[in-house]
Amino acid sequence: MRGNSLFVPGDSGLHRLHPLTKLILSLFFLVLAATLPSLPWLLTAFVLLLPLAIWGGLLRPLLKSSLAVIIPFVISLSIIQGFFTPGETQLFKLGDFVFTLEGWLAGLKVASQLLLAISGALLMMLSTRPDQLMLALTNAGLPGSLAYIVLTAIQIFPRFQERAQVILEAQQARGLEINVNIFKRIRLLVPLLGPLVLSSIVDVEERAMALEARAFSRAGKKTSLLVLKDSGWQRTTRWCLVLLMIALIGFRVWQVFV
Amino acid sequence: MIRFKEFTYRYPNQVNPALDSINLGIPDGQFLGVVGPNGAGKSTLCYALAGFVPHFFHGSLAGGVYIGKLDVQQSTLGELAGEVGLVFQNPFNQISGARFTVREEIAFGLENLGLVRKEIERRIEEALEIIGLEEVANRSPFALSGGQQQRVAIASILAMQPRLLVLDEPTSQLDPQSTQEVFRILEKLARRGGTTVVLVEHKLEWLASFVDRVIVLSEGRVVLDGKPIKILADEELKKIGVGQTQYSLAATAVKKKNLVPKSKSLPVTLKQAQSFFK
Amino acid sequence: MKLTLEHVTFTYPTGVRALDGINLAIKSGELAALVGENGAGKTTLVKMLNGLLRPQEGKVTVGGWNTADFSTAELASRVGFLFQNPDEQLFERTVRREIAFGPSNQGFPARKVASRTKAALETVELADSADQNPYDLEPFERKLLALAATLAMETPVLVLDEPSIGQDAAGRHRISRILKELHKRGRTILLISHDLDFCAENAERAIVMAHGHILADGTTADVFSQTDTLLKAAVFPPQLIRLAQTLKMSANPLTISQFVSAYAKWRNRKKKL
Repeated sequence: MRGNSLFVPGDSGLHRLHPLTKLILSLFFLVLAATLPSLPWLLTAFVLLLPLAIWGGLLRPLLKSSLAVIIPFVISLSIIQGFFTPGETQLFKLGDFVFTLEGWLAGLKVASQLLLAISGALLMMLSTRPDQLMLALTNAGLPGSLAYIVLTAIQIFPRFQERAQVILEAQQARGLEINVNIFKRIRLLVPLLGPLVLSSIVDVEERAMALEARAFSRAGKKTSLLVLKDSGWQRTTRWCLVLLMIALIGFRVWQVFV
Repeated sequence: MIRFKEFTYRYPNQVNPALDSINLGIPDGQFLGVVGPNGAGKSTLCYALAGFVPHFFHGSLAGGVYIGKLDVQQSTLGELAGEVGLVFQNPFNQISGARFTVREEIAFGLENLGLVRKEIERRIEEALEIIGLEEVANRSPFALSGGQQQRVAIASILAMQPRLLVLDEPTSQLDPQSTQEVFRILEKLARRGGTTVVLVEHKLEWLASFVDRVIVLSEGRVVLDGKPIKILADEELKKIGVGQTQYSLAATAVKKKNLVPKSKSLPVTLKQAQSFFK
Repeated sequence: MKLTLEHVTFTYPTGVRALDGINLAIKSGELAALVGENGAGKTTLVKMLNGLLRPQEGKVTVGGWNTADFSTAELASRVGFLFQNPDEQLFERTVRREIAFGPSNQGFPARKVASRTKAALETVELADSADQNPYDLEPFERKLLALAATLAMETPVLVLDEPSIGQDAAGRHRISRILKELHKRGRTILLISHDLDFCAENAERAIVMAHGHILADGTTADVFSQTDTLLKAAVFPPQLIRLAQTLKMSANPLTISQFVSAYAKWRNRKKKL
């Protein structure tokens, strides 16, 4: 799927799961990330996520994407929390600043929460076709326009990437050198943000017109070419996960206020 | 019968109206060509037929547009989409963004119309074949060339089988043979299918060979209206800013050199040129 | 500036073989038209000239430079490129800045950038819109803007991918005039167009492509009269040549005036019979 979404085509059991099941799974991991008390718990949860990725044949893309996202956070959080969160066990000193073990672990905890949440979301996006997800949501009662917004939101980043690539090519064709070091390259990308956003807005208007021309806002029943397969055990699993999420959140809230 | 009654429209924040007191009747099943210089209001006319003016662009208007008994102003865009198909000018941005293969992209409009799956599948195959997209049917619509995207847009609207089909320069990215095919498809739809087709084009030779009637827009007004042979040979076209086919221009030049009697009417198509120059 | 492609082959990641052993040489100062069906490889070919695409086999040279040794930005000082979709190349806040982008990259002082920008604006007749946002312009104006941005760099070579699409008669005339003027000044121009009448009017040489191959290459009058070859590439001869062929005039007129002279001669011959 060029430039559309993160979806990686495949025919695994994970791919064939109903989109709602995968959506709820990723929400479950999000809730775990928010409610699990400590680093060991979080890392265990992450490890439990991996078999799902393997089932989908997506281990490599998952690790690649999530680590790519998480490493800067690990570094920055370690530094910030390591130096500025009070702790007893001193690891080293930098001038007046003390880097403590407790601080560092606190930083790592936040980073692992992010890792768990992001990996959960990524797992879903890698194994679910956006239009199938949209269909599942509209079948479950989500208004069509909202589903479309979700769909578009998923595509924003790949869209931006694609557009940025095209603009960079056009800029090179007018003499802008990009074979420069990484810092200069980042500097080249920054002024593109404005035009990218602007062209996305223009895009949105034209896209809305295209949608209208295809009767998107027509009242009345809509049919679907796609058929989504669901099953009893998936439904049961989804409800269990939802109950579990409510329980976890409830437990945490109780812990905090009692 | 499609009718414009004293239709005037002004885009928001614009001083001059884009369309000015348009009075126009288009009989059902007619294949109508619309020409005019850029900025004359051709696209606005298309929008007015499909209800984007005023429902999408807002702005101020007077008069009305009627598609049979349907009053465009009183209908919603959703209602109109079932009756009027509009192919926009920009070929690069008519992909819905909601579907990820060409086949499903074509299905999208049909799903919104609530057709049964079997009918949707049938129409998709038909559309793919008519417009020549079988090879790319399972590719992402975003991974196509400009010409292919333009064809997907046309196919998607054709599949909806609207009573009124409005196309704004739908062949701009297509090579000449594909252009001819599109014109043929449109002619067949009008001739055999009874679809009313309104086509905005700059490609005068093709228009001349296929359409029943031509109107010329200039500065928001209909300034010429009639059979292609007559309209596209009109001397006024140059002043209006519309070109002529090479045949007409050659005929004018040859008349100037007194090689042919001045009374002979200008040819617009190859066939007419053949008898003119013999 | 001379352009050459030697045994150039290129296949896209999708498996489409866009160029299959292409050999082409464009003389310095030549105005050549590249025609053929959608997907024939025309855009792929011209993207070789400024390095946006690199040959997988074969060699491409621009004025003696082997493109393999230079980046796209460096080649841009020699080859100006107008993209088929103008919206792809627009990214500045105002028309003026968009046009100034190229000359700025060329390292000219502010005054020269300004004069180049002004000249380009006037050439395409967009001076009144100089401070508008490009997206506030009409589509056909954005195409003219993209052309101006390319012209402002005053490169010895110009590649124009479908410059006349979406233009009305006045717009086509304007672009024709610009091309003729550039040709007079000795620029090497390679023009991709589906509009064979436009090509007939402007180009001295024509190249026909289909399925990654060159089917014909020669003078415009010669190539555009080879109906069978043109049909293989999904194009038709220009109107005047078609008319001349129908009348059996044994001439290949490219312009109205050429047609008139050929017609006069033909009529005389007919009278004598």
